[in-house]
Amino acid sequence: MGREVAESCVDSLLTEMVSTYCHRFYANKPELAARRIEAIGYQVGHQLSERFVFRYTMERPRFTDHLEAIKFICKDFWSELFKKQIDNLKTNHRGTFVLQDNRFRWLTRMSVDPQNESQDNSADGENKAAQATSMHLYFPCGIIRGALSNLGIPCAVSADISNLPACSFVVRIKA
Amino acid sequence: MPTAGPRSGDAIFASVERVNAELFTLTYGATVRQLLTDLEEVEEVNKQLDQMGYNIGIRLIDEFLAKSNISRCVDFKETADVIAKVGLKMFLGVNATVTNWDAEGTCCSIVLEDNPLVDFVELPDTCQGLHYCNILSGVIRGALEMVSMKTEVTWLRDMLRGDDSFELQVKLLKQVPEEYPYKDDE
Amino acid sequence: MIVCVAVVGHQNNPLYIQSFTEADDALKLHHIVHCSLDVVDERVNNPRKSGPTLNETFLGLLYPTENYKVYGYLTNTKVKFIMVTTDLDVRDADVRSFFRRFHAAYVDAVSNPFHVPEQKLQYQVKAIDDCSLQTIVDYCHLSCILDGI
Repeated sequence: MGREVAESCVDSLLTEMVSTYCHRFYANKPELAARRIEAIGYQVGHQLSERFVFRYTMERPRFTDHLEAIKFICKDFWSELFKKQIDNLKTNHRGTFVLQDNRFRWLTRMSVDPQNESQDNSADGENKAAQATSMHLYFPCGIIRGALSNLGIPCAVSADISNLPACSFVVRIKA
Repeated sequence: MPTAGPRSGDAIFASVERVNAELFTLTYGATVRQLLTDLEEVEEVNKQLDQMGYNIGIRLIDEFLAKSNISRCVDFKETADVIAKVGLKMFLGVNATVTNWDAEGTCCSIVLEDNPLVDFVELPDTCQGLHYCNILSGVIRGALEMVSMKTEVTWLRDMLRGDDSFELQVKLLKQVPEEYPYKDDE
Repeated sequence: MIVCVAVVGHQNNPLYIQSFTEADDALKLHHIVHCSLDVVDERVNNPRKSGPTLNETFLGLLYPTENYKVYGYLTNTKVKFIMVTTDLDVRDADVRSFFRRFHAAYVDAVSNPFHVPEQKLQYQVKAIDDCSLQTIVDYCHLSCILDGI
């Protein structure tokens, strides 16, 4: 087992990083905040994939197609980060893959930033909460895009949370 | 119910949920790099990291007190010891020591020989003024403020700048008496 | 002894190349490394002939020249590692272990948050007196050329 830190370190850091970009730097420009958060995720995914490829695939045959690389993300890569695999992988066989985590840890653990928390149940409050959640999701989307890009698969990644606490990551491979 | 005594940092670290440190290290690194790109000035990045740490510290203190079973009414000397032996251990899994106390007992150094924030990191020449671990000093300052201790936390030694360890100086500026929510006459 | 090692990015861009012989050999060795990349590409495109087993990371002996043996290794992130040695009697296991450690050093180097992907790397090597497989890997610590962000 490699080095570990308390999970609350990662939770606190992510919450604060997202909050810094959403509230302090780009309070009125959510699309810019989203791009920065995604970029941070991209770098992390790129670097993690290099590390995990070394750890897991050195003694295995090289990936020969996209599906093998995506399975690596679903199994070894996800397990390193969340101690569980992706629960369901679907594809339309035309370059779109859907990776579903039935209980995505960062959604169940991460507290929405207090500055953005709304005590009332107004539509505005719910709206803000939904926006904060989607801001958090740019980070794992960036991680997946960075990892796949480093494996030679340029793609776009988005998140779908219509079935909370499940979270689906939609990967669209660029032709 | 009898209360159990304070728990050791090792025992707490063993019992909390833990994750791969590479994720933490690389996420922090990517954040620092993005901040450098966006803020351009190294000094601004130092300030931002300190602010982020402060915000984390004021939130993390509750988790720390709950898990460590430490009462809030400790003096500064004990507090510094607790940060080094329990706090840093239970969150980062590292050991630290407290040294260099001044005569008044209001200023000391916390020394770390190891720190997961800096794994793989080599500072570029353009970032020589960067206090890469400034988030950590911010966390300590924020957490102490929540237990009524106003402090100033500065880096004296930094392994990324060629020193043989990390040394954080913690100086107590003001100790505000604990405010109790209920006064006697209410 | 090992006379040359190289790391090459996925677009055949050199990320690191270092020879450990007299300076006038360097050009010849760089040429050998360059030619070996074509062999790697050919192996990947014709997987049956690739490596000791099918699609293995370790590609084995790429080609022997009169004075050298050239070995290759290709990661799933499409990074190529090339090693040129004058030893004619090399154990496969030693070469594998060399590449494993060379790869590990590379992974740590690109984990630096200030590293820019596809940017060249440099070794921080203390004096290498003995260019045997073992000594080189013992000193193996890649680090980034950090010229601004």
